[in-house]
Amino acid sequence: MGINIAQVLFNSVVTGSLYVLAATGLTMTYKLLRFPNFAHAELVTVGAYAAYVVMLASNLNFPLALVAAFVASSLVAVASHLLAFKPLSKRGAGMIELMVASIGVGVFIRYVVQEIWGAAQRTYGIVRQIFDFGVVRATDVDLAMIGSAVAFVVILHLFLVKTKLGKAMRATSDNPSLAMASGINVDRILLIVWLIGGGVAGVAGAFYAAKTRLVPILGWEILLPIFAVVVLGGIGSFYGAIAAAYIMGLAENLGVVLLANLGLSTGYKPAIAFAILIAVLLLKPTGLAGLKVRRVG
Amino acid sequence: MVDVVSFVFDLLTITGIFGILAISLNMEYGFTGLANFGKVAFFAIGAYTAGILSRFQGVPFPLDVVCGILLAGLAGFLVSIPALRLREDYLAITTIAFGEIVRLIILNEDWLTRGPMGIPGIPAPLRDVLAGREWLAFYTGLCFVVLAVVYWMCERVVNSPYGRVIKAIREDEVAAQALGKYTFKYKAQMFTLGSAIAGLAGGLYAHYRQFISPDMFVPMVTFLIWVMVILGGKGNNLGVILGAAVLEVLERGTAFIQNITTLPIEPYNLRMMIIGVLLVVLVLFRPQGLLKEKFIKTRALKVGEEKG
Repeated sequence: MGINIAQVLFNSVVTGSLYVLAATGLTMTYKLLRFPNFAHAELVTVGAYAAYVVMLASNLNFPLALVAAFVASSLVAVASHLLAFKPLSKRGAGMIELMVASIGVGVFIRYVVQEIWGAAQRTYGIVRQIFDFGVVRATDVDLAMIGSAVAFVVILHLFLVKTKLGKAMRATSDNPSLAMASGINVDRILLIVWLIGGGVAGVAGAFYAAKTRLVPILGWEILLPIFAVVVLGGIGSFYGAIAAAYIMGLAENLGVVLLANLGLSTGYKPAIAFAILIAVLLLKPTGLAGLKVRRVG
Repeated sequence: MVDVVSFVFDLLTITGIFGILAISLNMEYGFTGLANFGKVAFFAIGAYTAGILSRFQGVPFPLDVVCGILLAGLAGFLVSIPALRLREDYLAITTIAFGEIVRLIILNEDWLTRGPMGIPGIPAPLRDVLAGREWLAFYTGLCFVVLAVVYWMCERVVNSPYGRVIKAIREDEVAAQALGKYTFKYKAQMFTLGSAIAGLAGGLYAHYRQFISPDMFVPMVTFLIWVMVILGGKGNNLGVILGAAVLEVLERGTAFIQNITTLPIEPYNLRMMIIGVLLVVLVLFRPQGLLKEKFIKTRALKVGEEKG
């Protein structure tokens, strides 16, 4: 079987773009609040279903649906912070307690979604336009996904580097107590992080659903690859997460080809992300971001 | 009309099996502080070992379950070697990933597990001797005897000098190390023990259901066991059995309500929403659960009290 390397690379970029959008919020909240938020999966799901509602109402206006996905997921993210995670942190809950609570939040959201839209799978019902670039075949959804990820990375980068709010955000992420002592309103920064991180997770959900289908466990399906991206990139590192997202995209797409050639079931595709996750945690838990730490002296 | 007797026996059996699972998580998380989010994997290993051995290899009843216990314990031991050296959140993520890998293997290795079709016709012990309801009563009794033995054994462990070491590790691992305890060994032993007990529950479950399939071993099962432990009271084995009972009654309750009235909401979804909210509310307002952990009692303390 001949392998179309160009197509594999292109697919990797598509997958990587999905992970950039989905993982940014998780890596930021993980660092700031010091716990892995398992309900992040459901933020992805909520975005996908919010987009579905708008798709139905707006005669398949996908850009508008993406906006709806962003708004819905960021609102749910902020609500989960204000109702669950913030009161817990205030009471001095430990990491395991926050983790357990995040599972509770996730389960609640997932079954609210299932109650409203049912467990059966749905689709957006869009007809994908296919473009042929020589050996590479791409759909309009693929191209929009890559474009959105690139635009998001550029905008967030400029925001973090150029604006005062962005600098305050980075300061808070580095050292919350010091940031607070410098007069930064940490509570407000946290809200903005949930807004942005939750919102792009929702956009990722809408893209993922457009590429595959809608089910209430959609977010859970990509949660562990997202965790793998976050850990590989280094928890809290936006730039690390970008690099890790594309590495993970490449690993998954090459891995599927490899699995097929080895005669193994491609059903093992999720295991690739798990293997990377476990390997990074064991060998280099600081991830890619830990590679460029300067040693003084 | 619902058969009330069978309904009650079924409720009790499942409570017994999940009570065993809740104790196994309690040994790891409640007493030793190990956040194992892959509990379902060891439950599945026990269930599939018992199922495959008894259905396809003709291994007789208690022996196949024992093999499941050993295999689940071995898996737990192997996972614990790398995983227990990790930070607590990394341990949680790693064990979740391990649970998913086990489910993927069960799903994809058709030659061994029949993949998504599952394994039907797992022999039920003494089924040829006992009739429907009598068998149900027998199996319920069996599960409760096993639960009682597991409870007794685990209480012996946690109320011993050994038990005080693992609680010390939970409270402050560095302090325990400073006192000369090789904490990794204790943690690995508790993880192995907890996994083996989960394997036992898996074996009992496979023979009770007489059918197992990969979709019975989803991450949600792990989360349910966590709810039982947190609701019942972490660090209290009686409490977590109570937690298992409350959760099972909640499950049957929501299903039962639908039989008498029509709910505007799907009972299964309702139950899951309640469980989600319950987890957050418990962690927020009653982290110690229904029954608090008991104070440490030793003979030396009693002697001290007598002397005044």
